[in-house]
Amino acid sequence: MSSTSQHLLLSPAELAYLHGSLSLITPGPIRPDGRSPTQFRPLTAETGILPGTNGSARICFADGTEAVVGVKAEVEKTPVSPYEFVASTEGRKDHTVTSTPQKKIRKSKKAPAATEGGEDEIAMEVDEDEEAAAAAALDKVRGSPDWVELSVEIPGLRDDDSGTIFLTSMLTEALLADGEFVKKLWINRRFHWKIYLDIILISPPLSYPLPLLSLTTHLALLATRLPRLKSEADEDPMFDDDWAAATFLYPRQDTSSGKAASSKSSKQTSTAAAAPPASRPPITLLVMAVGDNIIFDPSKEELAVADSAVAVSVAEGPSSESEPESESISATTTKRNLHLLSVRTIDPPSRLTPPGVPNSVNASAWGTMTAATAASAAAPASASASEAAAKHPDARVTETEDVVGVWKAPRGGAKFAMLGAMVAKVLERGGVAEEVLDGLEGVDLG
Amino acid sequence: MPLDTSTYNLALLRVDGRRWNELRQQKAQMGVQPSADGSAYLEMGNTKIQCIISGPNERDTKSTSSASTAPTSGGQGATVAVSIMIAPFATVDRKRRGRNDKRVQEMQTTIASGLAAAVQGQSYGPRSTIHISLNVLSQDGSLLACLINAASLALVDAGVPMTDYLVACTAGSTSSYAAADEEADPLLDLNTQEEQELPFLTLATMGATDKVVAMVCESRVQLTRLEGMMATAADGCKGVRDFLDGVVRDKGELMVQEGAIGRGEVVSSMDLD
Amino acid sequence: MADRRRINGPVGATTPPIFDKPAAPAAAKTRDAIRKIFLKTGITPSASGSAYLELENPNPKRPGNTSLKLSCTVHGPRALPRSAPFSPHIILTTHVKYAPFATRQRRGYLRDSSERDLGVHLETALRGAIIADRWPKSGVDIIVTVVEGDQDRDSPESQKDDEGWDMMNVLSGCITVASAAIADAGIDCVDTVAGGVAALVCKDDKTAPTIVMDPIVAEHGSILAACCVAYLPTRDEITNMWFKGRLPGADMMVYDKLMEKSLVACRCANRVIVQELNETVRKGQGIS
Repeated sequence: MSSTSQHLLLSPAELAYLHGSLSLITPGPIRPDGRSPTQFRPLTAETGILPGTNGSARICFADGTEAVVGVKAEVEKTPVSPYEFVASTEGRKDHTVTSTPQKKIRKSKKAPAATEGGEDEIAMEVDEDEEAAAAAALDKVRGSPDWVELSVEIPGLRDDDSGTIFLTSMLTEALLADGEFVKKLWINRRFHWKIYLDIILISPPLSYPLPLLSLTTHLALLATRLPRLKSEADEDPMFDDDWAAATFLYPRQDTSSGKAASSKSSKQTSTAAAAPPASRPPITLLVMAVGDNIIFDPSKEELAVADSAVAVSVAEGPSSESEPESESISATTTKRNLHLLSVRTIDPPSRLTPPGVPNSVNASAWGTMTAATAASAAAPASASASEAAAKHPDARVTETEDVVGVWKAPRGGAKFAMLGAMVAKVLERGGVAEEVLDGLEGVDLG
Repeated sequence: MPLDTSTYNLALLRVDGRRWNELRQQKAQMGVQPSADGSAYLEMGNTKIQCIISGPNERDTKSTSSASTAPTSGGQGATVAVSIMIAPFATVDRKRRGRNDKRVQEMQTTIASGLAAAVQGQSYGPRSTIHISLNVLSQDGSLLACLINAASLALVDAGVPMTDYLVACTAGSTSSYAAADEEADPLLDLNTQEEQELPFLTLATMGATDKVVAMVCESRVQLTRLEGMMATAADGCKGVRDFLDGVVRDKGELMVQEGAIGRGEVVSSMDLD
Repeated sequence: MADRRRINGPVGATTPPIFDKPAAPAAAKTRDAIRKIFLKTGITPSASGSAYLELENPNPKRPGNTSLKLSCTVHGPRALPRSAPFSPHIILTTHVKYAPFATRQRRGYLRDSSERDLGVHLETALRGAIIADRWPKSGVDIIVTVVEGDQDRDSPESQKDDEGWDMMNVLSGCITVASAAIADAGIDCVDTVAGGVAALVCKDDKTAPTIVMDPIVAEHGSILAACCVAYLPTRDEITNMWFKGRLPGADMMVYDKLMEKSLVACRCANRVIVQELNETVRKGQGIS
């Protein structure tokens, strides 16, 4: 069954009315609860509700759905692949040979004096050359998607239900798409953090829970703190017992004192702290289209008449200097630098709604001869159906064309331009994604 | 050593500073979930439970697959279906429990049959089900007792008729079975540390009476100590009942103040001051 | 969930490891076409409809010169069981399953989460194409078996950072092959839906990223973003879209270009479907 199918008791007439009012062009769509197309429903949010976790959050939507997310982190040993090591050293040596041959000779003289293992030798080599060190630091900090484990729990659904898996993979994908998140989990070459994100929908699944789960995960990650690292380089990691000294996984701009404290601790944390101050975890928004209107945060009833629905994940990254063309724009008005991470179309539940029957083919309402037409149009043999349709043009019309006021589940897909417009509307400056991020910023992180 | 026997004998204080007959700090709230038919949130120390009730509604066989059910009123009334979800982050070390975890299922069965004794289900008819879904957000001892108390409170919020609150509490003994200490004192309301080391039982009673509805004891303890433990637990149940009753009364008063319900006959009989 | 019903082979790689130094990456030709597709319908006689698809490997290092092999069977439309509730539409069930030997890492017999995820994508793509209300109270099962996943088996152990980009290619193949199999089963569709992939790739840090159609994961230095689309060419509509990667948000241009390229890939694939279906029809007429 569809991942978005819910029990929704709306008659074809109600669906047609809802669809009609949502696809109005001149005054814009009229939503059942009177919101504007980009307006979100109010929500209540709190963080730090569970002291036993590294970070936690709870969000209640106005429709009564509620989710709790707990983040737990464990230190895990990074499996060292022998092949990987060989390849990386070779690559690096090649690089030094081609660029600075003299230095290479000097180093190889020094190296035996160090009388240390192969790994350290390379580390030393790199340390000498500052440029190489910077490059190596970037190269060294790599993450693996295995370091994040995300689970979604929806009451009444099995955890291997395809709907749950779709939600899980969508949220995981948003988190891993740009590869920046896993880099935050790097401790040193031998150890990393393993993050467990457990998402629990507390209430019964009244509407499609994706936006709720995504926003709750966002908040929980914002509130996540990891103990401060005391050890240096590739030692076995040692952490500060003081929870007050723990650093946020997503450091905030205003906590300059905390950053200063951590920067002198060790090289690794300083690189982590120097990493984008403004980066934020991803959020996934649900956008739907009815007719030519784009509607955000659809309720269950609205989703039931959607022509198409899209889940768009965006994250806020550091202001990037690498794109010269966008710099001119960002220099003037930049508030947030949004990145598109993933887009997925969602099967709208409207495809599973029962169709209405127009009067022209309804035997009980109108003609007598039309009863036969209606029957043949519904006959499940394609060849005979098309033949019958050719004989009775009336039936053909009702089969293929829309009759005003009669609900018919949408067929086909969405136009290219419409999908593009939906994504653009999320990303535009001062658009919905920024508004949501601003709103979530206001939540006290305890 | 969770209960330092040497210091306990001197100061009679437990690891978290309580006396032997003290309950942990409790917090509760009703109607935390506006979309549900009934809901409650209960904290006992660091054990945090959220309970959601949907129903009574027509029995649907699909979604009750992992829940444990028990019929009320000898099969003539509504069925009580309980499902427990222990969050993977609830314990200190993350642990994910499968749907078919036997310990969870056992707790589900205990709660379902316990509540079935308290619920007056005959007013709904045998084809209806009351779904009780319990979410454990944080776990620190006395889990079963807390689950029962939270479910009881949520059932009151849902307006399901019951003979009395079904309340539960744990009681333990200050020394282990091996110590064979006949003089060991009973302890009330254990936390995880104490549960791991000491023998304990969970007792559920019907309100403040001594009517025992459920008793679970999975640890080895001398028979002579059992009576003391049960008496202590029953006293604890009385305390829990008073607390839950206070929560319900406060909620009722608030609803009257807000004008949600008029000060009619139903309310006046509740003796609000 | 552990598979306890059968005796499973050892977990691990399905190909011997390669310790050789990475050879110079094959010169990625800037192809402006998708890889050659072999498509044939009606290969499984017991199914109501079936199709088989192969993608050619343009620079093969071993005898078999394919990189993707998919087989799809369609069972139905058939009546729903009596116990099932009334449905005004056809009930579509999609299964995507990798063969245990299809990828470098051995797959179990139970569907894992990535396979289920592909199944949901495929379902969304097909549901838009099928005229579901012509088949009330019936169901159809669409089963796609991935015989060979689109992975490079010749890359050395050291370069094994799977980021799952090959899943996009597999999905687009699944959509195409399922579309042909549905047509073969005679289920009414608004159009033949076809899948296509486009990716934003960059060779190394210095060169500017380019957009390619139907990316071969091993050929490109790194893939920044990719997009898989299911497209109905005659209606000019998209039934399923799956984009992931990292794009600077200000640049809707890159995103739009990526989408356009993948639509071109869809049209190419669709031409193959139409040709194969025409051939089937012609053959059928010749016999009767």
